[in-house]
Formats: sequence, structure tokens, C-alpha cells
Amino acid sequence: KRRKTSETTEEIEKRLESLICRVGEKSSSSLESNLEGLAAVLEADLPNFKPQILQILLCCSYQLPEKCPIYTTLVGLLNVRNYKCGGEFVEMLLLKLKRLLSISQFENARFLIQFVSDLVNCNVIAPASVMSLLDGFVDVTKQEGIPQSRKDWYVYVVMATLPWCGATLTEKKVDEMEVLFTKMQRYIMTRQKPHHDFLRVWAIDEPHPQEEYMDCLFAQICKLREDNWVEDILPRPYKAFEPVLENALQHTFPDFVVPPHIEGTSLYPIPKVIFRIFDYTDCPEGPLLPGNHAIERWLIEESMRNMINTNKYDKKECATRLLNFPGKEKIPLNHMIIECLLGDMFRLPVSPLQQIFYTSIFIELCRLQPGMIPQVLAIASDMLFERLDTMNITCVDRFVNWFSHHLSNFQFRWTWDDWGDCLQEDFNSPKPKFIREVLEKCMRLAFFARIRDIVPQDFEPLVPQPPKICFKYEVVPGANASEDDHMMITSSQKIIAAIKNKCQDDELIVMLEEMFPQGPEQVHNGKRLELFLQSLLFLAQKSFSHSFSALFKFHKVLKWAASDEEGKVDVLRITKDIWRNHPQMLIVLVDRMLRMEIVDCSSVAKWLFSPDMAPDFTRMYVWEIMHMTIRKMNKHVARLDASLVEMQERAIVDDKKMDDDEESDMRRSYSVFAPNEEDIQKMKEQVDTASGEQKKLFLIIFQRFIMILSDHLARSAGLHKNYNTSWYKNTIERLKEIFLLHKDMVKKYMSTMENLLFTVDLDPHILTVFKQFASIAK
Amino acid sequence: SRNDQENLLRNSNTLYVGNLSYYTTEEQIHELFSKCGDLKRLVMGLDKFKKTPCGFCFVEYMERSSAEDAMRYINGTRLDDRVVRTDWDAGFKEGRQYGRG
Repeated sequence: KRRKTSETTEEIEKRLESLICRVGEKSSSSLESNLEGLAAVLEADLPNFKPQILQILLCCSYQLPEKCPIYTTLVGLLNVRNYKCGGEFVEMLLLKLKRLLSISQFENARFLIQFVSDLVNCNVIAPASVMSLLDGFVDVTKQEGIPQSRKDWYVYVVMATLPWCGATLTEKKVDEMEVLFTKMQRYIMTRQKPHHDFLRVWAIDEPHPQEEYMDCLFAQICKLREDNWVEDILPRPYKAFEPVLENALQHTFPDFVVPPHIEGTSLYPIPKVIFRIFDYTDCPEGPLLPGNHAIERWLIEESMRNMINTNKYDKKECATRLLNFPGKEKIPLNHMIIECLLGDMFRLPVSPLQQIFYTSIFIELCRLQPGMIPQVLAIASDMLFERLDTMNITCVDRFVNWFSHHLSNFQFRWTWDDWGDCLQEDFNSPKPKFIREVLEKCMRLAFFARIRDIVPQDFEPLVPQPPKICFKYEVVPGANASEDDHMMITSSQKIIAAIKNKCQDDELIVMLEEMFPQGPEQVHNGKRLELFLQSLLFLAQKSFSHSFSALFKFHKVLKWAASDEEGKVDVLRITKDIWRNHPQMLIVLVDRMLRMEIVDCSSVAKWLFSPDMAPDFTRMYVWEIMHMTIRKMNKHVARLDASLVEMQERAIVDDKKMDDDEESDMRRSYSVFAPNEEDIQKMKEQVDTASGEQKKLFLIIFQRFIMILSDHLARSAGLHKNYNTSWYKNTIERLKEIFLLHKDMVKKYMSTMENLLFTVDLDPHILTVFKQFASIAK
Repeated sequence: SRNDQENLLRNSNTLYVGNLSYYTTEEQIHELFSKCGDLKRLVMGLDKFKKTPCGFCFVEYMERSSAEDAMRYINGTRLDDRVVRTDWDAGFKEGRQYGRG
């Protein structure tokens, strides 16, 4: 294409960028001719735009990993035409690699390393150089005093790179490869895996093993090596250019020094467990599903993940690309997409993307491929349901949330009868519990009557109660109402009338004081609080908005009536009592009360562990509230921390820059606005207070866990009963969950917990959880 | 001016949500949009005369990123069998909740 003379530099750069980024996308001509054409264009532009071109290629090398071999081929072609430029580019790659590693961008670094290793196949880099690069990575395992996660990462990278360059390296450097494998094997066999139990979706390996990720990839790589590195997933466009690339000169590079580990700054990825739900028997028609230890399984998942990550902000594009996966005719595409997405959705401790992403991508896939996806997704849902008994509790929650939301997008159609067998089980066992929680969540997105009608009659015991208010002081008292009851009903009527007549908060306080005179030694007046709060919530029952404004309007009265810790717990108990059939209302009210500081985080934790809540303790909403409360606390601390850091930075800037130039003159005159010692001190105190509250919250939660679990274990032992009940399983899993989901916060208080709570005299069942976590938290 | 408006939209945490059923409640909308993050405020659109819901609302998040997620992932999905439409809004002001009915 001829260039118009009027094109500005900026326009040319834009054009180059678009040309380079688009290569390999849908096109009317072949990839080979496109690559050849592009190489020619770039060669012509190199004299004037070399820095720009190399910079764009550098970005593509690790930001578009799904097109890795396309770009290595392009670089190979450029290197043939311009050897010097090829050398410069290799140097840029190594500098970038160093940079990415030192700023802990490990995912990008891995893609860059894969790219570098694939350059061996295009004759850009000498095999010896890549061999020594990989060898250096494996030698990280010999370093001492570093976390296992660092060793893991470097070995993982080598394994993840071998599908690209293994064949070439074996051909050229067979002895060195032997050594490399021996070193890796030694490491894989000796490393510790206490995280495995914590991170697996299912507790058992039936029907499919849930392998630790390093073990799994190592097995896959070994198998690939046995198969002489033959796989047919990775595209290798450079093969078409062999005659040209053969003549290229290769670059060597000096030994790469792995950046050192910096405590607290180098944050390596946390380990994973490979999620498996399908095997080849699940897709009897069409192409075979690669086995667990086939490298194809990993390569396909990898490239699907890259595709998802590149298109995560555009669900339609993302779904379309997944369904048009390159080489889709060679694999059971629908099963693999669904396994990959479910694996990410259930990934512990957190999914790569927000849960809502997975919900929306499944909806999109169903819409685009209504003939196939819904059917496979239904089969997967059935399998998940069948395996609920051993499923990790965090994953069960995610399953409930996703499944109910998904159903709400498809008129709640589901073959409920297929799940009817579980109605014979104890309703506290995982399957009936799951259905009950799903129906509860469905109801939140619809309304009671609709949900009651979607399930078959025999499911009725699992249908939640209609979300109605349970007001204690109904107008018509029951036949055996006592005098006291009558008095309370009358009082409640008076309060309601007063509120309706727009009385002020102070007037209400006077009224309440008259109704319930406070004794001198009495601190907390529970009756008074209950009467007021019940009446207020009753009056505001119409909607969330009504209830929020009621709390807002009588904030002062509530603070007055529930000033101490006991009162706060009482507020929560009363709110639960009146809204016991409407968990969603309860959640939003607790949320609002926390924001308005009517209650605090510790009181919420105490309330959730109180005997009043025992009947609901394994219900999902309880844990929604628990995690919401912890998250709020953590956010509060993080916000204050950030303000303190920001303040200190501003103060430092103003201290340092005191040279006698115009700028610092100006700075000096503005320095009155800079934070002074006193401001910083105040902020520090706030941070300390908040951290203190956070610590207190975690200590309360863990202490209560220990109390109820120890109690249960002792009681079971005393009665010679099996301790491993569904309540116990549930509770111990929730304990693990708190550790796992809030691990970065909990980590701060490990030593306190070790000294105060998780002491050696504790029942080993409970102590094990702490010990396992401690080894992960390191 | 147009520039100001664009700036407001770029920094907004508020979404206009349309194409809702008249029977869809605040509770349902709250549940759906909470899936992207904590809500600061939810204002139901009301018929000017009858003061009943009329198919739209404003959802304000605590954080911008939650609103972005809602635009990406909730927009175009269904609630009460209707396809929910979301759009950036410069921020709710009193009075705007009243639709033309």
C-alpha cells in the first residue's frame, strides 16, 4: 500500500499499531501472506520508525498471548531482513522481563517468557540461550530462605514454556533437557502442599481427581515429552516459513539474572487446584475430550483463559470468540468452555473475575448457541448438584447465586422432578439445603407466588416462607394474652400514632422514658428498645426505602435506646425477630445500621453467634451478613491507611523541596496547607483505633468458632456420638472460609491468635485448620 | 455545557435503569444490582400523578467500578422476564424520579 505524503507521524504510528495488532484476525487472505506483507511494510518503515515498531511488538509479545506464535513468526521474518533490529528487540524483551518480574507482574512475565522461548523456533534466539534461561529459573528452587510460592512460580513458568520450545530444545540440547527434567522432578516430589485441602472445590477425588496445579502440569509435560513433544493445538505459523527462517542468524544473550526476592513486595501467585467436572465419557459424540494428563487439556484451557481475559469487558465479543475457538472442530468445544468457566467461577479463594461476569457470560453463551450450550450447562448443573455433599462451602454459595440468577433469566424453567429424590433426605443435608437456598434467592429476584408455583408440589417443604413481617404487637391480642401483653400493645399503638403524627425524636424519647421508667442500676432497657424498634419497623415495612428513612429519621432515638454493646446486639435480635421471614430485608437493614453506626461490626459478629441465631446458623444469609460485615471493617481500615500514607507523602514532599528557586518559594507559601505533625498524629490515632476494632472483630469471630466447635466435639464424645454431622461440616468449613476469604487481614493477627486462641490444648480438629492456614499464609 | 455533562458522566457512580416492568419492586432491583457491589442509593421512578412505579429507576453505587460492572454485565440481562437497560447518569437530583407516567 502506498502512503499518502500528507500523513503525519502520529497517523503513521496509529496505522502501524493497528496493522500489527490486527494481524492474525479474520482476513480474506491467508495468514502467511498477511505476515509476509506486514514484514515487508515494517521493513520499509524501520529506518524512520524503528523505536515505535519495536515498542508495539514488545507490547503484543505479552499482552496478546493468544497470538504469541503469530508475533514470533513476524519477529523471525523481520530478523531475517534486518539482523541488527532483531538483536535490539531481543534486548528489549529481556529488559522488559526484568521489569515485569521486579514489579510482580507475574502473569505478563510468564507470557513474555513463553514468547522468548518460541523465538527459538523462528531462529531468532539460539537454543543454548533459552536453555540457560530456563535452567536459571529452575535453579531458583535451590535458593534458601524464600517462600515456596517463589520457587513454584519459576518452575511453573518453565513447565508452561516447554510446549512451545520443548521439541527444539530436545533436538539441540538433549543432555541439558535431561538435567532440567531431573531438577524439576526432584522439586515437584519434595514440595509441600498444605494448601491442597484448602483450595479444592471437592473434598474427594471421585469421580475426577482434583489435582494440585504443579503436579498436574508436571504430569502433562512429562507425558508430552514421552510423546516426543507432539501435540496439535499450538498454531505454528513459522513452519510455513522454514526455508526463509533457516537462513537467519541467531542471537545469544548473556545469562539472565533472576531478580531477587523482596519480602513483602514480591507477591507471587497463590497455588491452584485443577477443576475437573467432565471426562471423555461425558461427551460421547464428536471429538474426544483430552485426558487429564494430556497437554492439550491445559493448552486449550490456557488459550480460552487468555481469550476471556482479553475480552472480559465485552461479554458478547467474549462469548462469540469462545464459540469460534480456533480448532474448535477438533475438541468437544461446549464441554470445554463450560468446564473452563466453571473452574474459574469456583476458583478458591477468589475467581479471576467477579462472579457477575460468569453469570452474564453463561447467559450470553446460551443466547448465542441455544441449540447446545443450555443442554451442556444443564448436565453440568446436574453434576454439580450430585456432588454437593463434598463441595466446598464457598463454592456452594457461588453455585446457589449463579444458578438462581441464571434461572431468573430463563423464566425459572428447570426439571425439578429430577432432583426429587433428595426430598427423602434430612433437610439439613447439602442437597435439600441447596434447593432451599436457590428458591430463596430466586424469590429475591422475583416474588413469592411465582417461586411457589415453579416447583412441583412435593417440594413445598423447601419453599421459603412468604417474606412477611412478624409484628409482635398485633392490634388484636390472642386469647391468652397477659396483662403485660395488653399493656405493650397499647403502648405500641401510642408510639405508632405519635410517629404518624410526625412527632420529633426528643418527644419520642420522653414518651418512652415515661412508659418504661429507668431504674437507677439498670443500664440497658431491652423492653423499651423492643417496643420502639418493632413499632418503627412495622410502620416502615412497605419497602427498603421506607425502612431506611425510618432509621434515618429516628437515628437519635435508636442511638439513645441502644447505647451500649448489649443494646446493639439487641437491636439486631429484634430486627431479626420481626423480619425473620425476609432474609434480604434483614441483610439490608443490618447494612444500613452499620453505615449509620447504630450497631458496630463486633456486635454483628456477637449476634450471629448468639443462641438466638443458632437455628439459622447454617443458612446462607447469615454468612452473607458475616462477610459483608468483615468486608466493611476491612474497607474502613484500608481507607484510613491510604489517607495516612497520602498525608505522609505530602508532608515529605514539602519538607524536602526547599531549594531556593521559584517553585519552592511557591511551595513554601502553600505549605500552610500541607499536613503538619499534629494532623498526621491524629490520623495515626484513627488508623490505630480502626486496626484495634478490626483485630477485635476477628478475635471475636474466631473465639466464638472455637467455643461452639469445642462444645460440639466434647458433647459428641460424651454421648459417644459421631461428631461429623452436617452442622459440624458446615461450621468447620465456614471457619476455613473466614481464614481463606480474608486471609490478608487475618494474617496480620496470626501471632495473637496463636497465643490467645489456637493454643496447643485445643481439639486437633480445630487446631489443624489453623495450622493449615498458617502454612499457606506464610 | 456538553463538556461538563460528559465529565459528570465519566466520573458518575449512578446508572439510569430502564425497561423495567411496572410490577418490579425496589427489592428485586436492589438484589440484582447488589451483585456488582454496594449500593449507595436506589430511587424508583414514579408516575407523576399516581406515584406508582413506572418502569425506570436510578441506581447509585458506592464505587465507580461497581457501576462499570453493572453496565458491562447486567445491562442486557433479564429481570422479571424483561431485558434490563442501563445507561450512565450524571447523578440523581430530587424531582427526576417522576416520569411522564
